[in-house]
Amino acid sequence: MKEFFEKISRIDRRIIYVIVFISILIPLLIKKGFEFEPLPEVKNAYEFIENLPEGANCLISIDYDAASMPELQPLLEVMLIHLFRKNLKVIMMGHWPLGLPLGQIALEKIARELGKKYGEDYVFLGYRPGIAAVMLNMGKEIRMVFDVDYKGIPLDSLPLMRNVHNYNDIALLIGFEAGAVGDAWVQFAQARYGQKIILTSTAVVAPDLYPYFQAKQIVGLIGGLRGAADYENLVKKRGFAFSGMTAQTIVHIIIIIFIILGNIGYIALRRLR
Amino acid sequence: MKTILIFYFLIPPLPPSNVKANDYPNDAGGKIEIKWELSPMDSTIDCYIIFRQEKIKDKWSLPETLSILKRGTNYFLDSNCKDKIEYRYFIRAVKGEEFSDSEFSNVAISSGQWFHKKRTSVLILLIVITLFLFYFLKRAKKEELFIRKIPGLDAIDEAVGRSTEMGRPLLFILGLGTIAEIPTIAGLSILKRVAKKAGEYETDIIVPCFDPLVYVAASETVKEGFIEAGRPDLFKEGNVFFLSYDQFGYAAGVDGIMLRERPGAIFLQGYFYAESLILAETGNSIGAIQISGTTAVTQLPFFIAATDYTLIGEEMYAASAYLTREPLSLATIKGEDYVKILLIIIITLGLILETIASFTGKDIFHFLKNFFEVI
Amino acid sequence: MKKEVPLAITFISGFVLIVALFIPHEPFGSLQERFNDWYIIVSGFTLILGIDSLLLYHWRKIKRKEKEAPYSIALILSFIITLIWGIHSGIKYGSPFSPNSTFLRYFYTYIFVPLQATMFSLLAFFIASAAYRAFRARGLNATLLLISAGIVMLGRVPKGEDFAPYFIGITFILIAIVSFLEAIPRVNLYEKLIFYGISIISIILIFPIGYLLKIHLPSIADWIMNVPQLGAKRGLFIGISLGAIAMALRIILGIERTYLK
Repeated sequence: MKEFFEKISRIDRRIIYVIVFISILIPLLIKKGFEFEPLPEVKNAYEFIENLPEGANCLISIDYDAASMPELQPLLEVMLIHLFRKNLKVIMMGHWPLGLPLGQIALEKIARELGKKYGEDYVFLGYRPGIAAVMLNMGKEIRMVFDVDYKGIPLDSLPLMRNVHNYNDIALLIGFEAGAVGDAWVQFAQARYGQKIILTSTAVVAPDLYPYFQAKQIVGLIGGLRGAADYENLVKKRGFAFSGMTAQTIVHIIIIIFIILGNIGYIALRRLR
Repeated sequence: MKTILIFYFLIPPLPPSNVKANDYPNDAGGKIEIKWELSPMDSTIDCYIIFRQEKIKDKWSLPETLSILKRGTNYFLDSNCKDKIEYRYFIRAVKGEEFSDSEFSNVAISSGQWFHKKRTSVLILLIVITLFLFYFLKRAKKEELFIRKIPGLDAIDEAVGRSTEMGRPLLFILGLGTIAEIPTIAGLSILKRVAKKAGEYETDIIVPCFDPLVYVAASETVKEGFIEAGRPDLFKEGNVFFLSYDQFGYAAGVDGIMLRERPGAIFLQGYFYAESLILAETGNSIGAIQISGTTAVTQLPFFIAATDYTLIGEEMYAASAYLTREPLSLATIKGEDYVKILLIIIITLGLILETIASFTGKDIFHFLKNFFEVI
Repeated sequence: MKKEVPLAITFISGFVLIVALFIPHEPFGSLQERFNDWYIIVSGFTLILGIDSLLLYHWRKIKRKEKEAPYSIALILSFIITLIWGIHSGIKYGSPFSPNSTFLRYFYTYIFVPLQATMFSLLAFFIASAAYRAFRARGLNATLLLISAGIVMLGRVPKGEDFAPYFIGITFILIAIVSFLEAIPRVNLYEKLIFYGISIISIILIFPIGYLLKIHLPSIADWIMNVPQLGAKRGLFIGISLGAIAMALRIILGIERTYLK
């Protein structure tokens, strides 16, 4: 009896890893999902974009890299689909140089699928170092930071950028965050220039950004895979995030089962001693 | 009714009114903010155009277009002004081919301010903190100041001793912060203490670094630690090295070091991001005693779950004062604690005032919130 | 002199930047930005120092023919290949990350991205083993942590609330069993009654609590995240900020000198 309780209170971590691996793999292969209600902060973000007038400029900031790609890349693609469907203009830049190619890949892919033209419907500006300096200078004049796009074309040669000078000309800023750059966007772009911001982030960073949503400093917050799945549902383009939610539910249940087993073993051993 | 509506859409738009221009406050100059009341026909107009005139040698220049603004906009910040030059503005409401102009605004001159009025509360708090600090610095010279036990810091000696008994090296991880970040400097002060103990116990210490500048500082710190222990010969330059500037490259490298070198004690002291749990769990899997400390609030739960001792937030900052027991350092900790009490009182007062304000609807009760609103 | 000059520089630059926070007028207004720019430029050059340290560390391992020398060879080779390939793509396509460049297509997309994503995905496994080990009902604090973790884990995933009643059922049955077993050896009648009472109440509460969680679990999880979690986090932030101020003052005043030689 004692041995049994000792075994369940000290399960080998390799067994836990194998069970977690199987419980993630099977739902992803079966590709079946649950229906669920979108979170209010995601709905807010979606509705804000829905209410933007045609032709409004949206600035997307890529502030994540390959490590956060599984969480944020599906959301970026679905958001680009939403923005292009509504004929909104997309300007992309970023603060994480190693993540920008991911943003560029998604932008080119979705733009090609939806027949959008570079320079008229979307522009890719690239990366400049400085974070705070970049954000502050963009509030004065974008050309102080980005005088050319990533190909070296002067901004004034691009039809989309001719009338875009600062945040006054940008209807919405969407930040894809895996670190602390989201706080900087709120501190510099929102607080000083009143820029409307939607922040999307990994699940780990999302709790840090909730205070901004509660204080209405950002108009929407899409956190983690759940936020991405909600957005896919709202845009009616279910993809990886939606099927990932089933895997997440099952893994959470598996972890709770392990926790209960561990506690049964722990309490039983304590009593037996 | 139909006639009125047709008339409403056919007549030229009514202009905006009450255009006011003022120097933008609390800046370095070069900015004027312009506010106005919307046109009564705002919903039917296409856009507003804002014009500016500059006074050159007592004559007003030709109007210059500044920007085209969406309907519903009643604010604009002109960031391209020259100081000490007079400017005036007017707003044009445009509807199709027709337009009408507002009256000129008052004359405005931009200038830089020598004091940021919105930051008065910050200045007052800073003065209060400094006063508390100097009071306790004075007291520290006369008596020993008490600070409570911090188990994580008390365990440092035990951890180093355990590692020595096992014949295993120590591993010190300074996190992903740069040398400019305070958690990294706090980590370096703990590193010095650990290096000194390692020198006394004749144990190796391995310090893989994320940032090149931190590597330089860490190398000097470890060398100093061994010198203070009287064993400069035991310092191995190759044990402190730059590993990778990539977050997960660094995590993979450190994990590899843990699995190969099998340190007896692991110190995770600094600023961490998502890799914190990867490091802590790998350390746990090799059976090392782990003492962590970070100010990254999102990573604290992972450290608490996976490591033996955790220094939470400011406990890390108190480390150097706690370990050295230097009176001046202890004084800053005491001063900080009393400021915290003051802040708790202010927050409680603010809470009561805001609750009263929400019940009575009177703006006067927002005075404390308004005072602390900082840009 | 060796220590005095850096301390003086620290004091003057710290003091000037504090003063600059309150003076928007030039030259103070843009001082922080300028200092940041200087730091970025200087730290760029220190990367050369870091690379030198890294290569020397592994070169020493190869020279001494240590056990891990093959890995050091692999590292140095990868470093050289990445550098040459990146420079070659930069010259040929304008930038190593140009859409047509082989560096982006092959190295970044098929090597770098999968490696990074794999390291990040380790977290899923590690959180499972860490949670299993750490969430034990050792005392009141640990039990509260355990309950709130369970509620948030189930409340934040779709259909989590459908499974909550089963877990609650198991938990309350376990509480009932443990209380019953605690009651048996007790001699004091009062203590016996208390433990039997807890046992009975646990059984009674299974259905109402289970039903409550099935309907309200997501809102309870949201409440935990938005109220106590956020409150504690804000308190921590205030404490950390004050600690940072105290530490910064120690550095500026020269009391804290560990970063100096």
